[in-house]
Amino acid sequence: MINTKFKKWAVRQSIHHPKRTLASALIITLIMGFGLQHFVIEDDMMKMIPKTVKTRVVWEEVKDEFGNTDPIFVAFGAEGQNLFQSTAMSDLWDFTKALEALPEVEKVRSLTNMNKMESEDGFLLIDDLVNKRDLSPEEIADIEAYLIKNAELKKQVIAQNDDFFNIVVIPSGNTNEQVSVAKIVATAEKLLSEYDLHFGGPSYLIGIVGNLVRADAISLIRIGLLMMVVILLASLRSFAGVLMILFVIILSLIGMMGSMGWIRGLTGSERFVFSIMNTSMPIILMTIANSDSVHFLTKFFKKLRITGDKAKAIEQSIDSLMLPIFLTSLTTAAAFLSLVFAPIEYMTGYGVSIAIGISWAWILSITLLPSLIMLKNWPLNSRAIRKPGLLEHIVNKLGSTIIKLPRSILIGGLLLVAIGIYGIKLVTTEVNMYSFFEKGNKIRDSLEFLDKKMLGSMNLVFLLNGDMKDPELLQQISRLQDYVEKNPSVSTTISIADVIKRMHRTVMDDDPDYEIVPDERAKVNNLYTMYSMSGDPEDFSTLVDYEYSKALVTAILKNVSTESSVLFVNDIEQFVDKNFTKYKDITATGQLVVLRDMVELVIKSSVISICVSIVVITFIAAIFFKHFGWGILAVIPLSAAVILNFGFMGILRIDLNHVTALLSSVIIGVGVDFAIHYISQYRRLARAEVPIKTRSHRVIDEVGYPIILDALSNMAFGALLFSEFVPLQHMGGLMVFAMFSTSFGTLTILASLLELTGRRKEVMNTLLGGTIK
Amino acid sequence: MIRKILTLIILSSIVYPQDGIAIAKLVDERKVPQDIVSKTTMLLTNSKGKTRTSTILSKSMNNGSKQILWFLNPADDKGVAFLKIEHDDKADEMRMWLPAFKKVRRIASSKKGDSFMGSDLSYEDMTNRALDENTYKRLDDDTIDSKACFVLEVVPNAEIKSTYSKHITWIEKETLMAIREESYDLGGNLRKKKIFLFESLSGYNVISNIFVEDIQKNHSTKLTMGDIKVDSGLDESLFQEKNLKRLPRN
Repeated sequence: MINTKFKKWAVRQSIHHPKRTLASALIITLIMGFGLQHFVIEDDMMKMIPKTVKTRVVWEEVKDEFGNTDPIFVAFGAEGQNLFQSTAMSDLWDFTKALEALPEVEKVRSLTNMNKMESEDGFLLIDDLVNKRDLSPEEIADIEAYLIKNAELKKQVIAQNDDFFNIVVIPSGNTNEQVSVAKIVATAEKLLSEYDLHFGGPSYLIGIVGNLVRADAISLIRIGLLMMVVILLASLRSFAGVLMILFVIILSLIGMMGSMGWIRGLTGSERFVFSIMNTSMPIILMTIANSDSVHFLTKFFKKLRITGDKAKAIEQSIDSLMLPIFLTSLTTAAAFLSLVFAPIEYMTGYGVSIAIGISWAWILSITLLPSLIMLKNWPLNSRAIRKPGLLEHIVNKLGSTIIKLPRSILIGGLLLVAIGIYGIKLVTTEVNMYSFFEKGNKIRDSLEFLDKKMLGSMNLVFLLNGDMKDPELLQQISRLQDYVEKNPSVSTTISIADVIKRMHRTVMDDDPDYEIVPDERAKVNNLYTMYSMSGDPEDFSTLVDYEYSKALVTAILKNVSTESSVLFVNDIEQFVDKNFTKYKDITATGQLVVLRDMVELVIKSSVISICVSIVVITFIAAIFFKHFGWGILAVIPLSAAVILNFGFMGILRIDLNHVTALLSSVIIGVGVDFAIHYISQYRRLARAEVPIKTRSHRVIDEVGYPIILDALSNMAFGALLFSEFVPLQHMGGLMVFAMFSTSFGTLTILASLLELTGRRKEVMNTLLGGTIK
Repeated sequence: MIRKILTLIILSSIVYPQDGIAIAKLVDERKVPQDIVSKTTMLLTNSKGKTRTSTILSKSMNNGSKQILWFLNPADDKGVAFLKIEHDDKADEMRMWLPAFKKVRRIASSKKGDSFMGSDLSYEDMTNRALDENTYKRLDDDTIDSKACFVLEVVPNAEIKSTYSKHITWIEKETLMAIREESYDLGGNLRKKKIFLFESLSGYNVISNIFVEDIQKNHSTKLTMGDIKVDSGLDESLFQEKNLKRLPRN
């Protein structure tokens, strides 16, 4: 009833008020598009973790108490050139001062602004290690001597063979990382143009990836549109038709991106930000919007070929496609909405925004597209309308093969699925951003440089709760540092215990035997008080809280694989559980732990989205086709495609991560369309009691071509192969494969299954609710 | 009659001085006690509203150029003592008694901007400003809490390498006591706001409360001086290292 009313409305709007429909579509899209002003591009892996997960809770606590702890590392120098000379020192001085003056920077730690703590003849000195810009050779020699004596400090600020300075920059917590990174990089490039420059660190990656995501998304949209135009032109052979489809696609894209901005702006939700994983969104929506339009346009051409009347052809096309396009849009949107249940926070934004885009694309396909068609004159003698293309002929051939060999095709399909199941066992998870860049990429090279020459660029942070004046706890911190430092990836660790030990040695006349945590609480307290009399208490602000009840231990380490990070973090947690009795409140957070947590979240997200979307789609198809059996039949080719996809990933050693984890939803969401179109047509013909001998052939004749054309035009997913990010390239390749597997799965496995089922009249009769006599 | 005229001239020169330096001189020449003894409570508050409180017994003379402090509270700090002697011709002497180590340590802080005892007052804030080390400019008079004030802009001379670019100081006309001050960093941005309260004691105006807020760090310090005694006859010999080790009874 609603379906009929809506059909009539859509026909009326398109045929009788095409200009009004066009104007309305533009105005609504414009309103949606205004949301772009609230659009936020960001890629922070920590924010992908649910707010209830301990790592995130502790990270928020750390940020609140100690400020931003995610640094940007800047290294500059020249291979083999000793930097303990006046020009390099004054360049470092100028650069440090310039960074300190940036409002986007909270703190800078470099050789020229670090403190020295010395004891001479009972005289305790806490002072600047470097107190002026221009230094004499003797002064430089003194600085070098101090650093040699304090090797732990030295390695934090200069490379082992003194040819690169390391500067640790903590960006202001209130500033967007993209802005901070841009300013820091610009300052470095301006002042240090004569040196080799390298950047790294968690905040750097967040900032630089944010900028790359923007550039990547724009470039991918361009490539995707170009690919789509070429494919559509080749298959539809109608320039006007291609332009109309592009118009629908572009309006859908604006609608989706604008809606994402509106939701972000109105709710402030961190889930609605555009990250690496969202880079695939425009391409996916483009293909989905394209799919609806292609089905409509090919149906229109077919009907126009038969009727010769534009209005009649539009009416018949709407009548025939209203339900299937609605159903495919509904099921695709449902598959993406299943991401709301995924624990990775950004996936909610992804799923909801793309579902809105799909809905808008659906409305545009059945209102705007027919209106545009109505506004154009279609010469009946054009090639596009007059005769079927090569592809249509190939598909027709396929139809006869299926009818002849349904069992063999089914067995062949099942064999492929079995291989897929084997491949799934080989799937590995890798979420380290380092692996997202290809070898030779500037960012990856910089990260490799920091690993090789400097301390590395990853961090692991421990938050400890307890009495930070208690020697037992400080000794415990020291033991934890010793244990963590045993791992070859760890370059250094920093904690309040280090400062206490250094002060202890200084107070005890610089006797190295006293570089230990004092054995009495009163002594520890005296050291804290002594520092407050001479040094800046702010120096401790990143190590211990104001009330001496919380402390941070930070480890800087080289890039490690996700697998190693899981083992390492779990090992440390076991060590803490086993060895620490009095103070047990120790929690690990930071980049390394995020990698560990992300593995679980990525797997969970994949499984949840697959299960939820398959169940939801089964129910939707069952409701619309009025039998549960149809629901199951609709998801069979999809399930096979998902298995094949993950199997393929395992066999080809393509990593599962938060980007590729989206594949299952995309495959199900996009692939379900083929099955729906096929089942819809099959039911229509079965109800019309088309004989079983010709039924499958006629179904393939009717929908096979649009399905293959749809799948071919969806090759625009291949645009993702041109992404800067390796996981998106993988996603592109896998999606192209998935388009083959889902479309051929529909035209082979589903077609064979229906062919076999159709031969059993009583089963088909049950499926159709007893309408066949 | 002549005496009356002279008094009028002197008074008018006090109330209506010609320029900034003249006001600064008047403030500098203000009558101050020989020595001050007080129990000071220091309340530090950070940007998150967390606080630290200490109580210190302070004895000072020569307008604070010699000062000895003993920590009374918190219990952890009890017995820690600090001695500071300012010199015009050489670096200030600072010594600290660490009771847990039973050691006196000399401390050097060549950085004027360093915080004093973790507070928002730096060593520079604690040191008396020499008249010839700054230039003084009189700004428009102002009224603070119904008190008529001179307003001075104090700019440190380059050679003293101050950590401030300037101070704006409100001086109560009646008492010549500074009651407000704003200090600006070298970039010209407001760094600290200071509020001073004072009380009259034995004919002197003595500071009884100081509130300092570091605008940039969002950190504040409140010093409340209790049990203030002036001119109690402190001896120069008190300001010696050996006296750090024993906490006086009063």
